[in-house]
Amino acid sequence: MAAVAAEDTELDLDALRKEAETLRSRLEEERRKSNDVQLRDVASKLELVPPLQMKVRRVLKGHQGKVLDMDWSTDKRRLVSSSQDGKVIVWDAFANKQERVLSMPTTWIMSCAFSPSGDIIACGGLDNKCTVFPIDKDLENPERKRRTIAMHTSFMSCCRFVKSGYQILTSSGDCTCALWDVDSSQLMQSFHGHISDVLCLDISPVHCRTFLSGSSDKTASLWDIRTGRCVHSFDGHDGDINGVRFFPTGESFVTASDDGTCRLYDLRADREVALYTKDCMIFAATCVDISKSGRLMFAGYNDYTVNVWDVLKCVRVGRIYAHDNKVTCLQRSPDGTAVCSGSWDTTLKLWA
Amino acid sequence: MLFGLFSTADCHPDLQADCSVCALSSTAAKYRHSNNMSNSIAQAHKTVDQLRFEAQIERIRVSKAAADLQAYCEQHARDDPLLVGVPASENPFKEKKSCIVL
Repeated sequence: MAAVAAEDTELDLDALRKEAETLRSRLEEERRKSNDVQLRDVASKLELVPPLQMKVRRVLKGHQGKVLDMDWSTDKRRLVSSSQDGKVIVWDAFANKQERVLSMPTTWIMSCAFSPSGDIIACGGLDNKCTVFPIDKDLENPERKRRTIAMHTSFMSCCRFVKSGYQILTSSGDCTCALWDVDSSQLMQSFHGHISDVLCLDISPVHCRTFLSGSSDKTASLWDIRTGRCVHSFDGHDGDINGVRFFPTGESFVTASDDGTCRLYDLRADREVALYTKDCMIFAATCVDISKSGRLMFAGYNDYTVNVWDVLKCVRVGRIYAHDNKVTCLQRSPDGTAVCSGSWDTTLKLWA
Repeated sequence: MLFGLFSTADCHPDLQADCSVCALSSTAAKYRHSNNMSNSIAQAHKTVDQLRFEAQIERIRVSKAAADLQAYCEQHARDDPLLVGVPASENPFKEKKSCIVL
């Protein structure tokens, strides 16, 4: 009996594998058919981007270890950064002042986030958790009011507040992403599908029903926040995907990878539509963001530079010798006036 | 405990037919095998479901996607401070130049 059952399951497995192969070939064929033109060719008639006038405007010094992540506040003025040294600092970027210094009990705080309301900070990393601190102006000792709201079984690579501020999305080395309620710390939804560490995430700027994740399984996935379902999955990179960012329309996104390239994927065309690289570029791209109009892409690399790309013409239009060590995080300010970069050289710099 | 400790390879081929340990061991192997099989089946079902879902998505051509991207960039170029630049007086990060009285 057992032998017959085993044989049946073997046949089922075989049939499923064959169906998977057929479906994969069909998907590849569909994606190939939709690739009727190259983005750079469509954009060849466009005028060149005006010469970049960006310079360093602020240098935020204060961390004693590698800066690992940063996030802007919606007030366009403050930002939060986290570091290997176990500290999370809230900065007034205009005035170049440290507003708050929060100490975590562990080092390697791989991610930090500002709530949309500006009065809560979330952070976490090698402690496998996401911790929140209230930081309203009058609060004397925020460390006392800290709460753990997320638990993963491996490091937390990224945390971001959903637009409402009531929930937080986290990504983790345990191959999953998860959605948590800030007040109750309850797990609302988990997102399974990646087969290796999830390294980054970005929430859609348009409707907040979807988000992207990038993983060391070399794929980027788009998820439905409500159902937990993976809606699209994109491959193409030859290395870990360290950064993902939606294009302002929410219909495309860019990725930064260990393979030294950045790529633009379109959700409606369901494929990669542009590749940003040069032969001499061998260092990993670690973080990426897009300017307000979508025309410029800023990417930070392990060779200490930030490269600026023309998204449409697929050429590099600027190279900023930004830091004295690897650039680990980069984010454009909410009103598009500046880009902040953070680095292993312990500083954050503002470019405008 | 037994399952991990013995394998049929430990037993002489002539004796295996009568050996109770080997009988247990091979049942254990079949149990592990069928457990692994059901895990693989579940995984295969998930993969096929996901692929079926992705296969039925409607796709547009890259030419359309590219045109839309370009249109968005052109429409919003004027409002992009990093692209067109803004005067120092309006950009909080640029230092305001002060007048020097000579």
